[in-house]
Amino acid sequence: MHGTLKNPLPSAPEGRRSSFLALRLAIRDLSGGIRGFGVFIACLALGVMAIAAVASTSRGLSEGLSREGRRILGGDASFTLTHREATPAERAALERQGKVSSIATLRGMANAGDKGAGLVEIKAVDGDYPSVGSLTTEPSGATSGFLALKDGQFGAIVDPVLLARLGLSVGESILIGQARVELRAALVSEPDKIATGVGFGPRLILSQDALRASELIQPGSLVRWGYRLTLPDNANADAALTTTLAAIAREAPEAGWEVRSRDNAAPQFQRNLERFTQFLTLVGLTALLVGGVGVANGVRRFVEAKRIDFATLKAVGAPGSLVVAIHMTEVMLVAAIGIGIGLLLGAAMPYLLAWSLGAVLPLPFEPTLALDELAIAALYGFLTALVFSILPLGRAHDVPVSALFRDKIEPDLRRPRAIYIVLFLAALAGLVAVAMLFSYNRQIALLYIGVMGAVFVLLRMVAAGLMRLAAALPRPNNPAARLALANVHRPGALTPALVLSLGLGVALLSALAFINTSLTRQLTQNLPDKAPSFFFLDIPNTETARFDAFIERERPGAKTERVPMMRGRIVSLKGIRAEDWKAPEQFGWILEGDRGITYAAKLPEGSVIASGQWWAPDHRDGNLVSFDREIAQGLGLTVGDEVVVNVLGRNISARIANLRTIEWRNLGINFVMVFSPNTFAGAPHTQLATLTPVPMAAGAAPTSERREDGLLLRNLAREFPAVTAVRVKDALEAVNGVVAQLALAIRGASGLAIASSLLVLAGALAAGQRARLYDAMILKTLGATRARIIGAYALEYAGIGLAAAVFGLVAGALAGWIVVTRVMKMAFVADPTGALLVAFGAVFVSLLFGLAGTLRILSQKPASHLRSL
Amino acid sequence: MTDVSDLAVELKDVELSLGRAAARVHILKGVSLDVLEGEAVGLVGPSGSGKSTLLMAMAGLERPDSGLVRVAGTDLGQLNEDQLALFRGRRIGIVFQSFHLVPTMTARENVALPLELAGAADALTRAEAELRNVGLGDRLHHYPSQLSGGEQQRVAVARAVAPNPAILVADEPTGNLDESNGTAIVDLLFALKRERGATLVLVTHDLALAAKCDRTIRLRSGRIESETLKTGA
Repeated sequence: MHGTLKNPLPSAPEGRRSSFLALRLAIRDLSGGIRGFGVFIACLALGVMAIAAVASTSRGLSEGLSREGRRILGGDASFTLTHREATPAERAALERQGKVSSIATLRGMANAGDKGAGLVEIKAVDGDYPSVGSLTTEPSGATSGFLALKDGQFGAIVDPVLLARLGLSVGESILIGQARVELRAALVSEPDKIATGVGFGPRLILSQDALRASELIQPGSLVRWGYRLTLPDNANADAALTTTLAAIAREAPEAGWEVRSRDNAAPQFQRNLERFTQFLTLVGLTALLVGGVGVANGVRRFVEAKRIDFATLKAVGAPGSLVVAIHMTEVMLVAAIGIGIGLLLGAAMPYLLAWSLGAVLPLPFEPTLALDELAIAALYGFLTALVFSILPLGRAHDVPVSALFRDKIEPDLRRPRAIYIVLFLAALAGLVAVAMLFSYNRQIALLYIGVMGAVFVLLRMVAAGLMRLAAALPRPNNPAARLALANVHRPGALTPALVLSLGLGVALLSALAFINTSLTRQLTQNLPDKAPSFFFLDIPNTETARFDAFIERERPGAKTERVPMMRGRIVSLKGIRAEDWKAPEQFGWILEGDRGITYAAKLPEGSVIASGQWWAPDHRDGNLVSFDREIAQGLGLTVGDEVVVNVLGRNISARIANLRTIEWRNLGINFVMVFSPNTFAGAPHTQLATLTPVPMAAGAAPTSERREDGLLLRNLAREFPAVTAVRVKDALEAVNGVVAQLALAIRGASGLAIASSLLVLAGALAAGQRARLYDAMILKTLGATRARIIGAYALEYAGIGLAAAVFGLVAGALAGWIVVTRVMKMAFVADPTGALLVAFGAVFVSLLFGLAGTLRILSQKPASHLRSL
Repeated sequence: MTDVSDLAVELKDVELSLGRAAARVHILKGVSLDVLEGEAVGLVGPSGSGKSTLLMAMAGLERPDSGLVRVAGTDLGQLNEDQLALFRGRRIGIVFQSFHLVPTMTARENVALPLELAGAADALTRAEAELRNVGLGDRLHHYPSQLSGGEQQRVAVARAVAPNPAILVADEPTGNLDESNGTAIVDLLFALKRERGATLVLVTHDLALAAKCDRTIRLRSGRIESETLKTGA
């Protein structure tokens, strides 16, 4: 007869009970402390901080922009026209809706007589300026007072940069066109700076009367007129604004103006901010993924340290899934600590920025606790922790209790159960989905993830290859070399972790170095060969012969090129309004605002016909236009399509006759749209010219070039007050300045990725110290000196560092080449100086970090360690 | 009276403490001991009596706080870490309870290691001969993880005797082995000692093993409690 147990044990816990049990046991286990999780927590904290800080700072800027929309725009809505002022009917349509103020912006030359001349960005304002916000000047005072006509002279407020450039001071006067203006105050800040754009020259604020007196406004002059509409207080709601804009569109359907409202005050800036945020988020994600290696190493170490606990749990009846669940819960609880630290630091970043830099930031910035952005950063953190910990933890499921006590040197190579592989793939898919879902450009996000995945796989392969190579090499006679070689391929070797962390760091840094070199070379060193040194704008049609003679006199033998120039805005494409046209993100800019256009009888230099045919020089039958091939294809246009452009307030229709491939990089004159000459017959316009100097004599000093250019500017300002000269080097310096600021932000975010890789490196080396200690103590016991042991380890670290650096260099060059040639469409400069420095740095860092720990070991007495080993 | 030149090991008033601050423990309390060249000495005593520490001090693996440790005529207190390592490599062979082989090296490479470190050109050939001598001629290219405990300890013994050291020290050499393997290792150690005329100092809990030595020294609480000479010695 079979007996039955009086109190049978319950069956294995399932479902919720099992989860609670896992949580309870995990918390109980963790109550003993979280020693050994330092690098794990730091890696997650750093990565999450990077993402949270970028998102929070970007949100702060967006909030600032939207809250300050009225101030930035100078009203509730703005209406901008190029070349012409609003007609009385158009102005009346605006004034029926609220208070209207206007500003005119254009480039001009400030002529300071013997002190020289310089480009200025003129802003001519009416008596109401600024209608929203305030202008800060030094000395302070009423704007209208500074600008008023006094003793026959108009006044001006000027950017201190111009004062410094021309050696002027407040109180002196300069010529703007034909008008003499007195510089009455220095500009500290203007409320609508972002909306009116950042120019190449310093700002000069005048009254519109002074602008008219300067005679710079000629038919075809490149002047933009902006009308700011301020709604009455009782009609200020968003709905009222929409109704108002609709009413104005009805009343002035042909105005062709560019309309912006306060909730979209600086669309270009907002778009750039979103793009840049995405880029920095991806760099932050790099930091997190690099840190993921540290997470995986930490979990692997945790699993190693817990082998006896696993065995004990299994021995007392815990199924493998519960053992994994308990320890996965522990890992996630510890991950929560790292993520929490990262979120706190990331959320604090905008407040820290506002506190430290708020006063000097040129942008409206509103520090905000962006909970949704922080939640996304936390999600990134948890998914990364899951992706990198599932497989190491899953391996513990099936390890038999007896095997857990076996030799520690043998690695556990068995594949985890299918469920853990599925969970890993699900977490990975989740991470990819989150990166795609919250990105501005999903194509770039997907490309980035693909590249990162490929780099991870390649680095694993490099590590595996290196280990195989080390195992296959003949064993050196020198015991130090033999030990170094054996350490590269021994079970549990540091090779994969070191190659991964160093390789990623070197790849990232050398890619940035290659991009930076190419960009800098493109912007500076490539110029003297082929680029013009000056652009001249607003040359009156009637003065072209005198202008050509002037240039020939000032720069004999220099190459000049001169073309008609107008501004026009695309109104419709193939009968569809431009605002309704579905343009890919990278080509949307062409449909916004106005673009420079020209007409030509012959194919412009630097262009090649890609499809269609160029028109006959005497073509008269219908308006034709030649389009840049890449942009036309991007917009979905082809030969034969109809395009309507608003020029000088008139809608002009033209058929695409051909597509051109343009070489933009030589900085010569070229336009996206070139029309047949009959299109603009009789239309008032000015000319645009370039001056390409005779190559300078070898050894000529840059200072003499600058002095010569200064003289040319001074003489030009005297003889052609209405012509504006843009010195290419000055303009490129301005661009370089912006690039340098962006590069600083990129380096900051990349710095976190590098810090992550160093953390991973340090963590991996720390984890390997036990094995090192063992070897070092035995070697010391058997007669090895410290120098000999250090030599062996130096060989090992340098060998692994070199392999990782070589891979990183190649991968970085490849990534840099793709970014430079495919994304930036520039020439790749294969100058590896910066990248080589990075690679040498990596070898040095691996030696430094590795030996730092070893030196500590070597100073210890062997006996105590030999006893405990 | 014993001539100093006949002494393999000379310890005089050796004091040694381990640990720091409150955890510091006074292990050896004024131990003085002479071991003659070619003698086999067994150190016995309860756990914590200081026998392993005394052995480590003899091997230059532990520095005493005070007192003299002279091995093969060299005052170990006068040597720095590197000089100690070089001295050990040439003059002292050590066998541990836990074998302490380098896991990434084969049996042959482990045995060759001290010879190579001492600059012997024929290190690998001599290592092979030593391994054959301890019965492991067919295990030359095996890694420690591929050897049994008894085999690993034989490799360790071969490594210890390979440089023909003046003194062989062994810390519980049979502690991790079963009885038959333990007996084999003990026989091997004594055979090699006899063969090379080396001095042997070993620490053991096994009184039968200690009885095979010329002299048994019993330690208690860091002091020598008694000495027993082998009957007929």
